[in-house]
Amino acid sequence: MNFNYSIVRALALLMTGGMLLASCASSPPPCDGPQTKNLDAAIGDVKESLVAGCSAHFEAYYDDLLEIAEGNPKHENKRLFSDFLVWASDEGILSQRQARDYYNRYFNVKFVSLQSDYNNCSHTCPRRGKVMLDMQRELSDKERGLLKVSMDNAGYYRADELYQEVELVLEATCTACSAGQ
Amino acid sequence: MNVFQVRPAAEVSIAPQFPAAFTRIFLLSLLVSLLLVVTAQAQAPTIKLFPTTVVEDLRQTSFVAKEMETGLQEVIGRLDQQQQLYQESKCDGAESDPGCQRLAKQLGATYLDMLGIMEERLPDMEHTVNNTRLSLEKRLRSELGNKMTSWTLQETLLGGNPQAESAAATPSMRGKSGMRLSERFRQYYQLVASSSSQTDQSLAVLASDIYLDMDETSVLIARTREEIARATLIEQLNQSFGTITPEMMEVVGGVKSILFGDEASQVQVAGPPPGSIEQAYRSPLEN
Repeated sequence: MNFNYSIVRALALLMTGGMLLASCASSPPPCDGPQTKNLDAAIGDVKESLVAGCSAHFEAYYDDLLEIAEGNPKHENKRLFSDFLVWASDEGILSQRQARDYYNRYFNVKFVSLQSDYNNCSHTCPRRGKVMLDMQRELSDKERGLLKVSMDNAGYYRADELYQEVELVLEATCTACSAGQ
Repeated sequence: MNVFQVRPAAEVSIAPQFPAAFTRIFLLSLLVSLLLVVTAQAQAPTIKLFPTTVVEDLRQTSFVAKEMETGLQEVIGRLDQQQQLYQESKCDGAESDPGCQRLAKQLGATYLDMLGIMEERLPDMEHTVNNTRLSLEKRLRSELGNKMTSWTLQETLLGGNPQAESAAATPSMRGKSGMRLSERFRQYYQLVASSSSQTDQSLAVLASDIYLDMDETSVLIARTREEIARATLIEQLNQSFGTITPEMMEVVGGVKSILFGDEASQVQVAGPPPGSIEQAYRSPLEN
């Protein structure tokens, strides 16, 4: 009886250990956001998490990084974000186009939301309201990226001016297009 | 080195100077060719928004507006004087007074004169404004509407240098100011006539601005022409009773502000849009 009890106990221990090991192997990584307020270190943390399989959280991480950078705005931040996105593209976490869009939406004067392959009369004018709304949203992202993160005041004000010019020129062009129909 | 330097006559001796002169001529012609190439590149119109017909239409509109203003200036001045006299004579509330009735009739007659001049000149004005509007409409549709995507339009507006400060490149006026109608068109004409010195991005904005302004002016003129017939009829009836209606004064005020601008807001050249003035970011948390 004593012998049997030892075997059962050993088996139970083995099974518990095995189950613990198995549960460790299959549980997803915690995918926590960066815990530091230093942008360089935060980018390092995010890279680790992304490599560990948290790529689905990319957008949230990007937002966390922007928030951290807003706490310490400087021109240099633009380059740090660019390097990070190039790395993400090289690692296959983002496509090249996604990486470009993530960068340009926040750090370039040009509006990503104006990408189109068709002419203005046939494509842009029928959805002018949506185009302007998308541009407005992008302008607020540019305010974050250019103004609050990289202190590029001139860049942001040029983007703001571009927004107003596009609004005026599209209004005139679309009025002219509809008059010709 | 000054290539245009003139040597004293005593120094000039053709034979020994020939190689030097030849070099100078060669350098000069090279310089001129380079200048021509650079100028041609700078002036090469990639978008044709202002052909000579549009420029001529604008000049004509400015001329017609000026004529209309000149015609109305005298009669409006007379109206102002009569109105002042009417008020100084304390005729408000004393309409039955025979002197006041006479003044009111004179005022009404001058008002009819003003309506008559407008009725006579507005068709010309309407015609030239419509011509300009239609030429620009065609150009905008073809150059910016059919030949460009929203992306290429953005690139045109940025002028190939997104980071550059655009203050110098963009036109400095944006319609709808309190200036005289003819002055507005004259400024448009001047901006367009010097369009060879403007970049594509400023031309696109300028063309859009003028077109929208013309579109609005065109609607206003059509509406004014409709109103003139009605106002004339009413005033002819009023003449029989010798009364001054508040509507009459309102119409005169409206005509003055359209033609001669609002005295209180005489803005010659409109400022940049609100967001374009560079200011440091100010957090709402700042005191």
